Amino acid sequence: MRAEPIGLGGWQRRERILTVGVAGIFALVLMRLFFLQVLQGQRYRELSEGNRIRVEVLTAPRGEVRDRKGRLLADCVPSFTVTLDPFDKAYTRNPAHIDSTLAALAPILGVDPTFLKEKIQRERKVSFLPIRLKRNVDIKSVAFVSEHRDQLPGVEVESEPLRRYPLGLMASHLLGYVGEISDKELLDPQYGDYLSGDLIGRMGIERRYEKVLRGQDGKRFLEVNALGRKAELLGDKRPIVPRRGVDLELTIDLDVQRAAEEAFPPGARGAVVALDPRNGEVLALASKPNYDPNEFSTGITQERWSELSGGGNYPLFNRAIQAAYPPGSTLKPFTSLAGLECGAIVPGTVFAKSCTGEFRFGTRLFGCWNHDGHGLLSMHDAIVRSCDVYFYQLGLRIGLERLAAFMSKLKLSEKTGIDLPQERRGLFPDLGWYDRRFGTGRWSRGITLNLAIGQGEVSLTPVKLAQLAAFVGNGGVLLKPHLVRSIASGGPPASAQADDSLRQVVPVSPYNLDAVRSAMASVVSDPNGTGGQARLDSIAVAGKTGTAQNPHGKDHALFICFAPADAPRIAVAVLVENAGHGSSAAAPIARKVLEAFFHPAPPESAAVMTGR
Amino acid sequence: MIGARFSSDIDRPLLAATMILTLIGVAFVFSATQMASASAEHGLYLKQIAYLLLALLAGGLIAAVPYRVYEGRTAYLLYGVALGLLVLTLFVGHVGLGAQRWLGWGPVKIQPSELAKVATVILLASQLGDRKKDLTQIRNLVRPILTAGIPFLLVLKQPDLGTSVAFVAMLLTMLYWAGLPLLYLFFLISPIANVALSFYTPAWFVFLGVLAVILYRSRIRLLPLLIVVGVNLIVGIATPQIWNHLQPYQKQRITTFLDPGADAYGAGYQIIQSKIAIGSGQVFGKGYLHGTQKGLAFLPEQHTDFIYSVVGEETGFVGAAFVASLYLLLILRGIRVAHHARNRFGGLLAIGMTSIFLYHVLVNIWMTVGLAPVTGLPLPLLSYGGSSLVASFLQVGLIQNVAMRWRDY
Repeated sequence: MRAEPIGLGGWQRRERILTVGVAGIFALVLMRLFFLQVLQGQRYRELSEGNRIRVEVLTAPRGEVRDRKGRLLADCVPSFTVTLDPFDKAYTRNPAHIDSTLAALAPILGVDPTFLKEKIQRERKVSFLPIRLKRNVDIKSVAFVSEHRDQLPGVEVESEPLRRYPLGLMASHLLGYVGEISDKELLDPQYGDYLSGDLIGRMGIERRYEKVLRGQDGKRFLEVNALGRKAELLGDKRPIVPRRGVDLELTIDLDVQRAAEEAFPPGARGAVVALDPRNGEVLALASKPNYDPNEFSTGITQERWSELSGGGNYPLFNRAIQAAYPPGSTLKPFTSLAGLECGAIVPGTVFAKSCTGEFRFGTRLFGCWNHDGHGLLSMHDAIVRSCDVYFYQLGLRIGLERLAAFMSKLKLSEKTGIDLPQERRGLFPDLGWYDRRFGTGRWSRGITLNLAIGQGEVSLTPVKLAQLAAFVGNGGVLLKPHLVRSIASGGPPASAQADDSLRQVVPVSPYNLDAVRSAMASVVSDPNGTGGQARLDSIAVAGKTGTAQNPHGKDHALFICFAPADAPRIAVAVLVENAGHGSSAAAPIARKVLEAFFHPAPPESAAVMTGR
Repeated sequence: MIGARFSSDIDRPLLAATMILTLIGVAFVFSATQMASASAEHGLYLKQIAYLLLALLAGGLIAAVPYRVYEGRTAYLLYGVALGLLVLTLFVGHVGLGAQRWLGWGPVKIQPSELAKVATVILLASQLGDRKKDLTQIRNLVRPILTAGIPFLLVLKQPDLGTSVAFVAMLLTMLYWAGLPLLYLFFLISPIANVALSFYTPAWFVFLGVLAVILYRSRIRLLPLLIVVGVNLIVGIATPQIWNHLQPYQKQRITTFLDPGADAYGAGYQIIQSKIAIGSGQVFGKGYLHGTQKGLAFLPEQHTDFIYSVVGEETGFVGAAFVASLYLLLILRGIRVAHHARNRFGGLLAIGMTSIFLYHVLVNIWMTVGLAPVTGLPLPLLSYGGSSLVASFLQVGLIQNVAMRWRDY
């Protein structure tokens, strides 16, 4: 087929086809107009006059969160929310009317009217939905709104699920909280299916498992007549049925969690992490001070927010995963292991220099915490009595290069990968790090002495310390700590998955590991050991104390342990900020955690906590 | 003067339709912005009048110069400038309604995609009109497809799907006018139909069958045949595969992009409100300035993309049909001018300009009556906006230019 000749007058046929086509398309437009305006005009006229069309969001309840024994940590309860439709006729005709509505409503709701006005002006730009003025209002406000319906155009009381944390302060950091989505997030395509005023998980499990927990909100179009009666508007949009969020079962053991939180003296700051050294399940994860996530569910004032996010103590800060501290002497078992592994020492090695309470290196004097000195010690006794002078010499013999290489096998400068947001990495510096920091070769070998006893530039998070304790306990496996045991929708529990990313075997000699483990057992059991305060009557505990100097005041107290010493089922790391000695301030907290784990409270109190 | 000799040959119905539509536009920009809660919008109709004066000037100037001046090198120059502006928009443009569409110097803001449409039509007319080419030869299609394809992609990137498709619409119309048989047009758009149908296997097989029969009956040459078959097979098989590998949020982005009303209750609500406004106008309307739906939920676009719903509400079926008829008149006159043009370049120029009107008017009106997705396209001559108005007058000016010189040799 060839193109027909086109030129002067050759457009005849094409013109006719185009003209008929265009006329046909316009005829369709006229038919549509006729349908809308003449045939259905009456109905649309009614809709435009007395009645209002509005969208009702059917909020999906978030999934419940329970501990490993099924005890409730977070659920949803019905509540009332007062909303206002800024596109109500009354306000589009007379925008000033909104002020009088708010003036009448604000005192009842106990909210500042200018705050509400700003909220409305902000949110009406991004969606056409009624705007939530206040969540979780009391029955008095509900009654007020229904009685004054005619003076409060566009104001409705809607039933909505409210996120509830029945245990209040308990486990607040690992659970996180929910809050209204920010304007910035709304612009992010990642949150494309969120609407202004929607709740979104913040921190903790609520954030990490937001997609699962959230469920899917439903929506429907309603025609509201002058009497406030609602009728579903059919034909234009089918309603979307809300889908409830998925329930989560955590690895947390509420008994252990409670013991950890209650073991902290009032006003103390710090963190506790307890893991199952066999599989990486997190049994408890506490951070002090804590906060009550219920405060956020109903919307929080700016002042209260600043108080929680700062306020000197930073209660929102999750010290278990977001803060890295110098590990102090809790690092000594790992320095020892490094020495054994690279052949610098054997378990019986005794260094030439006896501990006199201090150690001279070049022109500098490095002290031992025990100013009276420990005398000549083997590696075993040096760990038991936490002799600094032994580890200064060990550090020098290993050398920074080999020490850093071993620590990098333990991934000290990496995150553990726990399934919580905002985890921070720790740091064990290597040669390159010092060269970058101070210039090539412009730093003293003395830093190795400090690193060997867990001081100086090394810093670790409590969750990393717990992972390291579990590593010694389970015979050399680095486990990825995780909090979610199963996602109720089915599928195998996360911990049962043969997922290589959950466990990583570090090649260390079992003989060397045993030497360290037996030293850690003696730390607790030996009368000369520093960890006697963590001793249990019936079960052998292996541990290591730490007292970390830091620039922020009094020493941090640390303790890491696992039990039973020969076949551990729990590993714990405790850190108390500025509390002094690990032996006296941190070890007793660990003991209470271990007690709760091995001797759980009688189930009657647990039944009360279940809630329903 | 250059144009005076031919002024008696100006297409009067086209001119009249243009002017009446523009005045209706000013009147309804006034009406649409009176209820707005933001008083800043109250004076917009005055700005629209200022734009109108500018547009008249631009349209008059472009009509005065004999249109053959725009052929050849000038066409490439204009096209180059327009592309430059589009590229600039992507880098330094202003974001409006989620897309980067505007280019501004101080208080002056222009939407380069509006001007790019005019420049692209001129270049296409020049390429397709310079001498007779057999358009069924693929090598003769490469250049026009590139010419429309580049601005298409640049505008798609903004992202502005509605405007970018305009480049496809005018390319197809002009190819048809230049002599490409309808059959080949079908082959050109078959991959697009293919993408849409590939999600439903039975429909896809039916489509392939129909395509095969048509290809067999058409007895086209081997190379184009292989290309059509190959492209269709690849597209049809790859599309569902790619789709299944997308993340849920990526899928949602695409569906929102194609049809914002389907997903977000926001845009779906706009459509419902627009239908209520138009429908409630009934036969004779609620009277000018007496509409009750304006100022409602779809505030920001009331005087731009949704102006037709104000017209429908206040003047009813009578007014809405009148406005639609004026557009029909304008487009039919454009086709007539193209038909009577003295030479291929003139005819293609007129049909190209007309196709821009046709596409915009249809997509916009269909959107306001709930037959097409919310695309954010203005209604030419009626919607508020300087770039659109100036571009519309440039288009009318060029059609008149061709009409005035039909005696010219």
